[in-house]
Amino acid sequence: MDTLVDLGNGFATALQPASLAFALLGVLLGTVVGVLPGIGPISAIAILIPVSFGMEPMHGLILLCGIYYGSMYGGSITATLIKTPGEVSSAVTAIEGYEMARKGRAKTALATAAIGSFLAGTLAIIGLTFLSPLLVQLATVFGATEYFLLMATALLLASTMSSGSRVKALISVFIGLAVGLIGLDFQTGLPRQTFGISLLSDGIDFTIFAMALFAIPEAIRNLALGRGGKEEIQRFGDEKWMTKEDWKRSSGPWARGSVLGFIIGVLPGVGPSLASFMSYIMEKRISKRKDEFGHGAIEGVAGPEAANNAGVGGAMVPLFSLGIPGSATTALLLFVFTMYGLQPGPLIFREESGLIWAIIASMYIGNIALIVLNLPLVGVFVKLLKMPKELLFSAILVLVTIGAYAIEFSLFGLMLLGLFGVFGYLMEKGGIPLAPSILALVLVPLLEDNFRRMLQISGGSFLPLLTRPVSLSIIILMLLGIIAPIVVRWWIRRRQILMDFTVV
Amino acid sequence: MARSLTAAHRRDLITGSAIVVIGVVYFIATFSIQRTNDIVTPATFPAIVGVALIVLGAVLVAQSLLARSTPAEAAPGLPATDVTAASETSGSTTSAGITDDGTTSAGESVDGASSAGETGVIIAAPPEPKSKQVALQFALFFVYLAILIPVGFLLSTAAFLMGLTSIYAPDRWIRNLVFSVVFAVVVYVAFVYGLAVYLPAGILG
Repeated sequence: MDTLVDLGNGFATALQPASLAFALLGVLLGTVVGVLPGIGPISAIAILIPVSFGMEPMHGLILLCGIYYGSMYGGSITATLIKTPGEVSSAVTAIEGYEMARKGRAKTALATAAIGSFLAGTLAIIGLTFLSPLLVQLATVFGATEYFLLMATALLLASTMSSGSRVKALISVFIGLAVGLIGLDFQTGLPRQTFGISLLSDGIDFTIFAMALFAIPEAIRNLALGRGGKEEIQRFGDEKWMTKEDWKRSSGPWARGSVLGFIIGVLPGVGPSLASFMSYIMEKRISKRKDEFGHGAIEGVAGPEAANNAGVGGAMVPLFSLGIPGSATTALLLFVFTMYGLQPGPLIFREESGLIWAIIASMYIGNIALIVLNLPLVGVFVKLLKMPKELLFSAILVLVTIGAYAIEFSLFGLMLLGLFGVFGYLMEKGGIPLAPSILALVLVPLLEDNFRRMLQISGGSFLPLLTRPVSLSIIILMLLGIIAPIVVRWWIRRRQILMDFTVV
Repeated sequence: MARSLTAAHRRDLITGSAIVVIGVVYFIATFSIQRTNDIVTPATFPAIVGVALIVLGAVLVAQSLLARSTPAEAAPGLPATDVTAASETSGSTTSAGITDDGTTSAGESVDGASSAGETGVIIAAPPEPKSKQVALQFALFFVYLAILIPVGFLLSTAAFLMGLTSIYAPDRWIRNLVFSVVFAVVVYVAFVYGLAVYLPAGILG
């Protein structure tokens, strides 16, 4: 019952004109940025974080959460109409939705994506509403040992569950850790890994690193490619949104995708992208029309899009209740919380319960706003696809430069931005995924702090990891988490379904 | 296809070696951290990270060397070979040479898409630009970063945007000029007056 009271209070705050305006603005801004080709949720949030600097914490967080799911929806428009997924999570839509669009069913594809996203998103937020308080209670028995373990699990899962080479994903994790350790040690105040450069003792700013990795390589790559090979934008006619048949064929995938997406989203270190792929495979497996998959099967859009958005809600659970982000995008959100001096986790539910519940309530509102705004406005968003690339990407370079300047107000900060941009470009070129390093960077301080406290309490022994009941249970779950993907891989192999995608 | 396989492994060889070098430099840098008497000194964690980078880089190098000599046999033993492994066991429409390690470069995924046919979920990797062009773009970007503060936001941004857009679309210089000036002014006004982020005024100020 307490939960409902809290949620009611949250709604009272979230429905105030200012909060409502920021939720709507976030959703709209997120959709617009997400529609821009080549920009997914991570880049959208990274580029827009500087905008929230001067805002009140609640408004800034409501805005950025809105941007998050707005950009997810925007990404599916881009994927459907020009086959350019902004992020891995909409990669499946880029296949199935694009094929539908080629058959003149673009409107149906977008409608099933939007309605599925709305239903799944709402279900996931309901899950978030009721699961978070439970996890918060569980977390009261957590000590340094458990927190260290959970964070290590998140990082490990982020690398085992990603597509492609696990070695490279782990390299990405350790690059993030390496960058995060630069600067003064917060416990002793001693400089570390500064290579004698005193300017580095403040550490590498998270936003600069995120913007450099998620905006610059993509912008430079597109500008350097030059003209030629113009994308074909699929026509967007006046056919029907959804026929009765479409509704019938979509409802199953929506339901299955929602449940699957939420569960996968809750796991630490596993973002929504895996959810959309799993859903696609599942739908293909149980479908009676297997041969339609790859040629515009509506189930292949409805399921993954639902899973994707349910995953967003699911990923908020460990972020809010434990303070542990499950993906690169939620890592960005965690950073925004800490930027405002807030630490998500059990404490925030006790001390800032008004704030956290207002954010959760605003998600319900944002989800409704998404579907109310976006289906009628889709024609406007489609026009954004025609924006000339050179204007778009040169403008993005200017925006991240402003962002970096607003953080450091120095040439040094600007140069860091440029250098990490080069570094990010080289990482991509070497096939090292960028997302795990962002997750690692945001977790470094907590990870090290809990590691130290764990060993200080135990006098240097790692034994508590196995002797504490809660910690032992986590270890068992962690092992299952490592075994599960292997089983999944085996299962996929048996189904003779190939999965391969590159992080764009 | 065999050719692209070796290209991908050469790339891994270079990447892995670079990571090893970074790891070594990082590890050596931990020696200059002042030691304390704690159980976990400030140097412990950085040292772990340095060693891990060396080990992981070495694994990548080893993988690429092993895979180069015996591509078919090496694959099952390696951890992350979704695609290669899948194609091996399925043994049907796909050949083992589609990808090296699941992260494809542009050429390979095109190959992969054609041979994987209907069973696959394959997203073509984005096309790769020429390194010379990339270097030029980065150079322009660094010039912009360097002059932003001394010259000021408005002038340097307009010049930077004009430069980038004109390289891309030289024939549309009027549009480029209008865009560059208008965008710089609008952003300046929005940030300085709207968000109270004071951008450098430079020589205009």
